[in-house]
Amino acid sequence: MYAIETHDLTRKFGGRTVVDRLTLAIPTGTVFGFLGPNGAGKTTTVRMLAALIAPTHGAAYVAGKQIGKDNTVIRKLVGILTETPGLYDSLSAWQNLVFFARLYDVDKQQAEVQAERYLRMLDLWERRNETVGRFSKGMRQKLAIARALMHEPEIIFLDEPSAGLDPEAARTVRDFIKDLRAEGRTIFLTTHNLPEADELCDLIGVFRGQLLQIDTPNRLRTLSSGRGTSIRLHGDAQRWVETAQTLPCVQNVEAQNGTLSVTLQDPEQDNPVLIRTLVDSGADICYVEPLAHSLEDVYLELMQN
Amino acid sequence: MNHIIVLLQKEWLELRKNRSLVLSLLLPPLLITTIALSTVYGVGQSPDDDITELGAVLVDPSLEGMNAAELGQAVLGKQFGILFLIMPLFIPTVIAAYSIVGEKTRRTLEPLLAAPIHTWELLTAKALASLIPSIAVTWACAGIYIGSIALIAVTTRVFSAIVSPAWILVMFLCAPLLSLIAIAASVAISSRVSDPRTAQQISGVVVVPVLVLFFTVMSGVLVLSPVMAIGSAIMLALIAVVAIWGAARLFQRESILTRWS
Repeated sequence: MYAIETHDLTRKFGGRTVVDRLTLAIPTGTVFGFLGPNGAGKTTTVRMLAALIAPTHGAAYVAGKQIGKDNTVIRKLVGILTETPGLYDSLSAWQNLVFFARLYDVDKQQAEVQAERYLRMLDLWERRNETVGRFSKGMRQKLAIARALMHEPEIIFLDEPSAGLDPEAARTVRDFIKDLRAEGRTIFLTTHNLPEADELCDLIGVFRGQLLQIDTPNRLRTLSSGRGTSIRLHGDAQRWVETAQTLPCVQNVEAQNGTLSVTLQDPEQDNPVLIRTLVDSGADICYVEPLAHSLEDVYLELMQN
Repeated sequence: MNHIIVLLQKEWLELRKNRSLVLSLLLPPLLITTIALSTVYGVGQSPDDDITELGAVLVDPSLEGMNAAELGQAVLGKQFGILFLIMPLFIPTVIAAYSIVGEKTRRTLEPLLAAPIHTWELLTAKALASLIPSIAVTWACAGIYIGSIALIAVTTRVFSAIVSPAWILVMFLCAPLLSLIAIAASVAISSRVSDPRTAQQISGVVVVPVLVLFFTVMSGVLVLSPVMAIGSAIMLALIAVVAIWGAARLFQRESILTRWS
């Protein structure tokens, strides 16, 4: 069962195509990371999926409901953290939460129970009666996340949840997202923060107007050009760079902190030759393991291509 | 209906917390009422014989046979009575400017539009949040005016001339319609401007027709009658319907999010 499904979802503004034939399927209970540069169309996609704006072409289903046909139902089933927190500064944290819960048809008593629950979870309970205008950026962001959850949505859209937060607040937000994942909710997370995406997401889509790639973080890392081998050596690794470079199968060699990172055409076939050459040349090898690319490497490579 | 009530409660809670805004809403109506009453009272105490030469005196049958003191109070009282129509135009433009453009500048519109509310519910709540206080303040000031005129009028004929059936009809029928037109204008302006002050300043233009009416009554070109009051109300109702239809067309989820500057 997919929580979110899109088929050729397209959105144009005037003659400009901002989202181009986006097709994806996000299983229920997945944390989906939607990565892309500024202006890639991530917010437009979120707005379409949250039934805020209509697609120009294509179809999308959120919680089994079709965008454009069941918009009010979809809005009730999803929670959204918008790019900016968008809270009422003159109202207290408590008043903000209860107001939004009641807009989602949560009765007053239940809204108050929910407000207390989330304010306590996000360490804002002691400040509940203060006007939001006095809150720090991190507190506002946490409150905006709480607002998105007041009606217990099945699907949650989080647009840059930790952007601009200090490390402590960002950690709180990330831990909170992990708690939501543990509850089995589907989370659509747009972010620029690649380590965060790596840490939180089960599935990642790299997007710039079009979906460039979609896969699990582990499989995405293997897609990076430059499959290879990491060789940990005794002593200075730099002295073995030239030896490795003499082999025709070696595409690139880097030495750092006693480790030789060697990019190969076909590691399975080339590793025995490489290791034999290094050992024959006198290198003392401690460990040999596949070269691990970071998500950032994959992302930048996809963007450059 | 529940959404509208929830939104209204929030709007008024925000309004109550903004003391400077409340002050700027209440001060002008109170000033107009106070100035009107003190002027009418002053003219009654020291009448000017030249008043009989005013154009308004010559054409208004309700002023026939009055002495200088009566004429002074009746003429000024009627003219100030027209100025009360500025209130239902001015108050909603101030509230709507903060309520609609304010949502835009504070970036609260998107979370609001993401909620499962219908756009018409949001527009209705925004309109009522401006309409109800503006009518309440206008009618309260009109009530104070009527009560005070009863006390300070030199004769009952003056009271009858100022608090005429035509003026009462105008206050009851035209004032709410003018408010609706002002709100529709504010929504239209809000879709094009990016800060509440600009919206308020542009919306201020809607008081011009009332000022024109004031000067025509003052100069004697126009004498307000019940028939004219009902005719004006019908005309304003038609304008209000068209204006609200136009505002509703502008106030669509997608255009608010993607086109409002």
